[in-house]
Amino acid sequence: MSNDDFRRELNSVFDDVSGMPSGGLRDRVRSAVAQAPEARAPYWIAGVAAAVIAALIVAVLFVANPLKNGPSPVGGVPSPSPSPSPVATATPTVSPSAQQFQCSVQNFVPKPGSSTPPPVAYVDGLRTGAHTGYDRLTVEFANGAAGQVEIRFQTGTNFTLSPSGMQTTLKGENGILVVIHGADLHSSYNGSTDIVTGYTGLAEVKRIEDFEGVVQLGLGVNGYACAQAFFLTNPDRLVIDVRNS
Amino acid sequence: MEQRPQVLARAVEGDPESFSRLIEPLLDQAYRLAAVMLADRAAAEDAVQEASIKAWRKVRQLRGDLNSLRPWFLSIVANECRMTRRTRWWSVLKLPDIVSAAREAPESHADLRSALLRLSPDERLPLVLHFYLDLPLEELAKTLRVSPAAAKSRVYRAARRLRADLTIEEVL
Repeated sequence: MSNDDFRRELNSVFDDVSGMPSGGLRDRVRSAVAQAPEARAPYWIAGVAAAVIAALIVAVLFVANPLKNGPSPVGGVPSPSPSPSPVATATPTVSPSAQQFQCSVQNFVPKPGSSTPPPVAYVDGLRTGAHTGYDRLTVEFANGAAGQVEIRFQTGTNFTLSPSGMQTTLKGENGILVVIHGADLHSSYNGSTDIVTGYTGLAEVKRIEDFEGVVQLGLGVNGYACAQAFFLTNPDRLVIDVRNS
Repeated sequence: MEQRPQVLARAVEGDPESFSRLIEPLLDQAYRLAAVMLADRAAAEDAVQEASIKAWRKVRQLRGDLNSLRPWFLSIVANECRMTRRTRWWSVLKLPDIVSAAREAPESHADLRSALLRLSPDERLPLVLHFYLDLPLEELAKTLRVSPAAAKSRVYRAARRLRADLTIEEVL
C-alpha cells in the first residue's frame, strides 16, 4: 500500500467510524450554551470559597503545628550535597519520611497518587538529593501522577535494558527497579537519563526502559537496598527514598 | 458582515449567541474527533455538547486571537472524551456495528479499521488531528498541549502502530 493509499484508506476508516453528526447537534449545543451562563458565577464563587477555606486550613495548621514533636522538615533547605539534576529547581523536602523513615527491603507497590491517573503520565523532571538518613529520587509528572508503580529489589546492580536486551551495570552494590506503568519519559523530559550522584546511599539512577507506556528506572545503591516510596502533589511527583545509613 | 474578533470579544463578555456563532463551524470537526476517540457516535455527540458548555464557561481563559480558538476547543473536546472513557469504563465498543462494517469492507480496510480501534483513544487523537482534520503542525501541537517536535513524534509513533514500514517523511 503506497503512502497516498494509506492516507486515503485511513481517512475512509475514520469516515466509517465517525459517520456524520446528527442534524440536531448544532441546536443541542446552542441550547445547552444558552442555558449554561448561570453556572459561571457559582463556579467563580466556589473558587473563591475554596481559596478561603484552604487559607484557613493552612493558618490553623501553622498555629497548631502538629509536627512540632520532631525535627521539622523545611521546604527549600539545600541538600547536604549538590544534586546532579539537570533541572535547576530545588528538591522538595516536605515529606512524611523526615519524621518516620520506614523503608522496605521487599518488593512493594506504593499507594497510588491519584484515583484518576492520566492515560499517559508525562515525566518532566528527575531529581536527586541527599538528606539526613536517606537519599531521595523525585520523579515529577507534568500532567498527573502515573497510576501504577512497582518497587522491586535485587541483589547486584545488573539491569537489562528494554527493549534492546543489553545488560548495564550501575554503581553501587545492590539495585532497585522502579517500574512506572502508563508513563512516558521522552515527551516532556529532556534531562539526563543516567544520573551518577556520589551519595552514600543512592549511587546512580539510570533509565532502563521507556517504551510502550512503561518507564523503568534502575537505582544503584551502596550497601543493602532499603527504600520507601510515596506520591506527593503540587506538582504531582513520585518520591523514592533510599536509606543511606 | 460583523468582524469575527468582535464576535469573540462579545463571547468573552458573556454573550452566548456570539459564543455559539464562534464554535458552530468547529462542531463538525469536534464531532469527528470525538467519534473516533470514543468509537461511539452517540457518546461523541454528548461529549461535544458537554465540551461546548465547558468551553463557554472557560472562554475568558482563551488566550490569543481567533487562530487559537480551534486548537483550544478541540483540546477541550479531547479532554471530555477522556473523561467519558474514565466515567464509563464499563462501556465497550458496539460490536455489531464493527462486525457488520468489517464484513462489508475489503480486507485491507477491515485490517486498518481493527488496528485503529485497537489503539488507545490517546493514540488515535494525533492521527485524527493530522490525517483526518488535517491540522497544521502548530495547531496540532497546541491541541495536544505539547511541543511541535513532540506532536510530530506522537503522530509518527501512532501511524507506525498501524503500518510498521512507514517512514517519518511519509507521515509528515
